[in-house]
Amino acid sequence: MCLRCVEVTRRAMLLGGAAAAASIGTGAAQARIRPQDMVPLIGPGFKPTDRDEMGLWKEMERAEEEIAGSNLVIEDPRLAGYLKNVIGTVGGPAAQDFRIYLVRIPDFNAMMFPSGFAVVFSGLLLRMRNEAQLAGVIAHESGHFLRRHMIRSWRDERRKTDLLAIGSMLAGIGGAGAGVYLGDYVQLAQLGTLLSLFQYSRGMEAEADAMGAKLMEQNNYPPVEMSNVWQQLIGEENASARYRGKHRHKGGLFDTHPSSDARMADLRADALELTVPGKVYDARRERYLSTIAQIRPTLLDDQVKLNDPGASQYLIDTLALDGWNGLLRFYEGEVWRLRNRPGDDIRADQSYAAAVVYPDAPADAWRWHGISLMKQGRSAEAKAAFTRYLTMKPDAPDAAWVRQMMG
Amino acid sequence: MKLLTNVAILASAATLSACGTLGTGEYGYSDYGLVRVARVSVGDGQMSVVAPRPYNRHRRILFSDVKDVEDWTLNGPILDGISFVSGMNDNRELIRQRHTADQQVPRFRSNMTPPEIAAMLESLYRVKGGAVDLRTLSLQPRPFLGANGFQWDYEHLDEDELWRRGRAVGAVIDGKLYMILLDAARSHYYDAELPDFEAIVASAERHG
Repeated sequence: MCLRCVEVTRRAMLLGGAAAAASIGTGAAQARIRPQDMVPLIGPGFKPTDRDEMGLWKEMERAEEEIAGSNLVIEDPRLAGYLKNVIGTVGGPAAQDFRIYLVRIPDFNAMMFPSGFAVVFSGLLLRMRNEAQLAGVIAHESGHFLRRHMIRSWRDERRKTDLLAIGSMLAGIGGAGAGVYLGDYVQLAQLGTLLSLFQYSRGMEAEADAMGAKLMEQNNYPPVEMSNVWQQLIGEENASARYRGKHRHKGGLFDTHPSSDARMADLRADALELTVPGKVYDARRERYLSTIAQIRPTLLDDQVKLNDPGASQYLIDTLALDGWNGLLRFYEGEVWRLRNRPGDDIRADQSYAAAVVYPDAPADAWRWHGISLMKQGRSAEAKAAFTRYLTMKPDAPDAAWVRQMMG
Repeated sequence: MKLLTNVAILASAATLSACGTLGTGEYGYSDYGLVRVARVSVGDGQMSVVAPRPYNRHRRILFSDVKDVEDWTLNGPILDGISFVSGMNDNRELIRQRHTADQQVPRFRSNMTPPEIAAMLESLYRVKGGAVDLRTLSLQPRPFLGANGFQWDYEHLDEDELWRRGRAVGAVIDGKLYMILLDAARSHYYDAELPDFEAIVASAERHG
């Protein structure tokens, strides 16, 4: 670790890259596209026949190989099968052709590549409250493929830049093109470069939204959940910015996506238009929560340790709308502890104390509860908490230190 | 982290070409200076150590570096690094950061326990180093500078897809954080440099 080297932030690089790559697709606000006007432009088993698209697919095959073998891919057969099932549901005519990879990156994002493979960031799973919301994001990405946005934007880009070879594009700097919110991780070795290829216009994003909403409705997901996703994202961005004394970025010159506010409004209109009175829709919340239950502590851990207290607290409060539990109370305490302002230690203590009352409190809640008690001089209670921690986690990596504290 | 260090290397190259000097640490100027095999002060001078062989010390940049933090490397910061924290006071930060940044490394508090210090370092890796996974391998008591200290062993997966491994040995003495930290590519470099690190830790003396 070079403490000195981390002074140059990745965000500065990202902004530079985004400015270089996303200079198209700006302009006046896009009029809403009606979901019923959206039809898939390809059928099952689609394969390219044009030479340029065949070349693009060949490059994508190599990219997919690299991504599939990346250290960042979460190798969990149950989750992989679940995501495959979701994209198989809302993938329209190409449903059975898609591949989907879950990568461990704590940001809100998912992206579709031109040859039909999708990448979902783990931070997306944390933020979704039910399967319908996840399906909405995946349906949006499927919409890009079904409407052939990649090759359309690729040809458009080639016209504009007079670049004749895919290789010369691949050499370009990574930028903000394809995803919902790219975060700092756009600089990932393959993703950053590949994303620079796909700069969807606002019109294409509006098409993908409309196509996605239609796919949701066709598969009995409540279409309104997609606008709820955007409402949650706006809320999170507002909370994060407010905490740091800033205003939320509401879309600017270099944004290829419509602003979140406009997008939420359009998606709500789509949902109203699509929802059939009397038809039974199912957000499939229970199935979603039970599927991600095992990975949820990791997802929360990855988010909270970024010490973005406004965003983390908003996310925890949002998830707690479905009910508080020991896990959420524990991570609420972690938010306070890492925020580390005067009085936060007391707030953290209270959250840890509340967490351990729940039967699902993680072992770490007992550890931090014990540390809080120890710092307050309540050594007997601290010892009891530490004992509980070691009982729950007998092979705890910090067992030696904890035993020393127990005396 | 690789990306960050790449930027540092680019910045270094620019400095060298602008100055037109050798950049060896002996003549002219570079981002790195030579650490000889002799007792040397680190950070703000409140701690000194002896390197078992010559090392490269990252020069401090006025107004941007934290005065009580210093970084060394043997093979370049992408592969390995040894960092020193020489008596950091309460409410100080390990690195300078914009206070409007969404994600921030927590400040050091003098009443922090070893798990809290480890958590502060973990946030440093995640927020500024691009770590997407960090695992504690062990946290145990260990004397350091004659005080009751700690040893934290850990490994982390960074956005450049490389696993790195680290060891931090430290203690809070009179409310100040003293710490030496090794962080290197898990494959080969960590094991290769661990004996140097242990020798440096064993040689550490506190001043002031």
